[in-house]
Amino acid sequence: MNVRRWGALTRRELLKISRNPAAIATSLMLPILYLLLFGQGFNFTSSLNALPPDQRTQALNSLLLGAPDYFSYFAAGMVGFVCVTATLFVGANVIFDKLFGSLKRTAASPATATDIFGSRLVAGSIQPVALAFLVLGLAILLGNVGLAGLHVTGGMTVVGAVEIVVAILLLSLMFASLFLALGFTIEQPQTYFALVNAINLPVLLTSAALYPWGAMPAWLQGIASYNPITLAVEVLRINLFGGAFYPDAAWVYLLGLIGWAAAMFAIATILTQRALAPKV
Amino acid sequence: MTDAIIAEGLTRIFNGTVKAVDEVSFSVKQGEVYGFLGPNGAGKTTTLSMLTAVLGPTAGRATVDGLDVVEHPQDLKQRIGLVFQESTADQDLTGRENLELAAALFGVPLRETPKRVQELLGRLALADSAERLVKTYSGGMRRRLELAVGIIHSPKVLFLDEPTLGLDPQGRAGFWKIISELRKETGMTVFLTTHYLDEADGICDRIAIIDHGKIVATGTPSELKDRVGGDVVTVRPLGNASALEPALRALPGVTAVSFVDGAFRVKCPSGDALIPKAVGAATNLGIALAGVSLRRPSLDEVFLEFTGREFREDEGPTATDRAVFLSRFQDARRGRR
Repeated sequence: MNVRRWGALTRRELLKISRNPAAIATSLMLPILYLLLFGQGFNFTSSLNALPPDQRTQALNSLLLGAPDYFSYFAAGMVGFVCVTATLFVGANVIFDKLFGSLKRTAASPATATDIFGSRLVAGSIQPVALAFLVLGLAILLGNVGLAGLHVTGGMTVVGAVEIVVAILLLSLMFASLFLALGFTIEQPQTYFALVNAINLPVLLTSAALYPWGAMPAWLQGIASYNPITLAVEVLRINLFGGAFYPDAAWVYLLGLIGWAAAMFAIATILTQRALAPKV
Repeated sequence: MTDAIIAEGLTRIFNGTVKAVDEVSFSVKQGEVYGFLGPNGAGKTTTLSMLTAVLGPTAGRATVDGLDVVEHPQDLKQRIGLVFQESTADQDLTGRENLELAAALFGVPLRETPKRVQELLGRLALADSAERLVKTYSGGMRRRLELAVGIIHSPKVLFLDEPTLGLDPQGRAGFWKIISELRKETGMTVFLTTHYLDEADGICDRIAIIDHGKIVATGTPSELKDRVGGDVVTVRPLGNASALEPALRALPGVTAVSFVDGAFRVKCPSGDALIPKAVGAATNLGIALAGVSLRRPSLDEVFLEFTGREFREDEGPTATDRAVFLSRFQDARRGRR
């Protein structure tokens, strides 16, 4: 591994990302639309306001694991989802770099497969963190302009903030690895985007990002509790609202996320090494 | 001093059946400009890809600057420069950023990088557009940037894969002028592939003609032209004129006659003198002619001589293919009558 090569290749990735505002807008569009439309229309917990306070709290605890309202619960989920929509372009860039020849150039240089994969992974994992905090900020802001917004009710600490950053980073690392693996193995953009669409929605819909936890059937809860998006989102919810479905310890989720990220990183490394090796 | 490039029995088979390069052996001396000349699909780029460790050989071996291409791909890539036939620069980066990236990838010392980048931008007439995104560059500018990227680390051996493809004549001339200058200054070895005969003729010290994955001839441009042996007069009859062949053969000074693509190719030391005699022979036999032309030995002729077909026909069916098709077609028509 060569630090200068890594630095130069990472700089290239970040320059390319920053010069493609359309890609950034596209990765933000879906989570923001969800916040502005789905979240506003689906904020059913306002109907619980008629209940006596203790009954209301009980209902919220069982349904939303302690979040103050559905929108807040769901907004935390969207912060996790933006890691998926933002890392998707990292893999797409590999395919476009193949089509436009620049990957051929890099592969013909002394840069190793590790340099090429690693620099893209670093760049691809940093960018979603920024976008995730943008979505988080927007969700909080919405509450201040007369719409349903995210209300932080837990006691946020510095450790909690670090946990959130680490969770988002690990989730981004995992999805960046996955999409990079696809990008390096797939040749056609249409195949890639078809596959990404086939992954995106099922991953979102088997997580606890959208559904009220208490309303999910047991089998779906079972699947959702292993879903990496759930794991990251729960770290947010523990710190933002003070509750989660598993005994309130963020490290359990972080450990799960490390496992996911490590597994996906390993698979992606093997596939990338294979894709970048001289064709025999 | 060892040769800069040595290839021994280099072979590449695709998908288990398609032999793109078939036991190719050659060597390139240090400081030499060596051209691989052949039509599309002849195996030029495949050979170059194996020599630059982009593609692994199916059989055979090759060394570049003393390094085995299979055993030391990483070290090899450090020592060579490679200019692809297509544009490989990052479209969303400026010319300068592309060069800075290449400098980092090829390990140009950090302290020397700004100077080296500026020097190349100036030399390749890109200084004024250095801060523009490459996607706004013209074809010629992109080619020059590719070359700058290829030589950023002052490689010992420079590989050029159809480097002037798609350039106008002026752009081509400018490109080769830079290569000549660089070569004079640095003494680097250049291996290039091209299907422009005039380019190969003008720039190469030695040429290998490659066809269907095999080298069919090697030599200096003038050696190859000498082997064709004098001028070639092409006599194109109207309609069937098989009787003309023995008459042409009998003309004084004629060394060979062949029938290619509907015309007789008559080889002789002096074409000027032969033309009136050939026309006379046709008139005596009552054969009308569509045209007569004279060609001095050129690499076109060399290619035709060694491969049996016209160079420019490489994209379509070969002359033989067409002759076979035509004769079958005529047979079929005759049969119907």
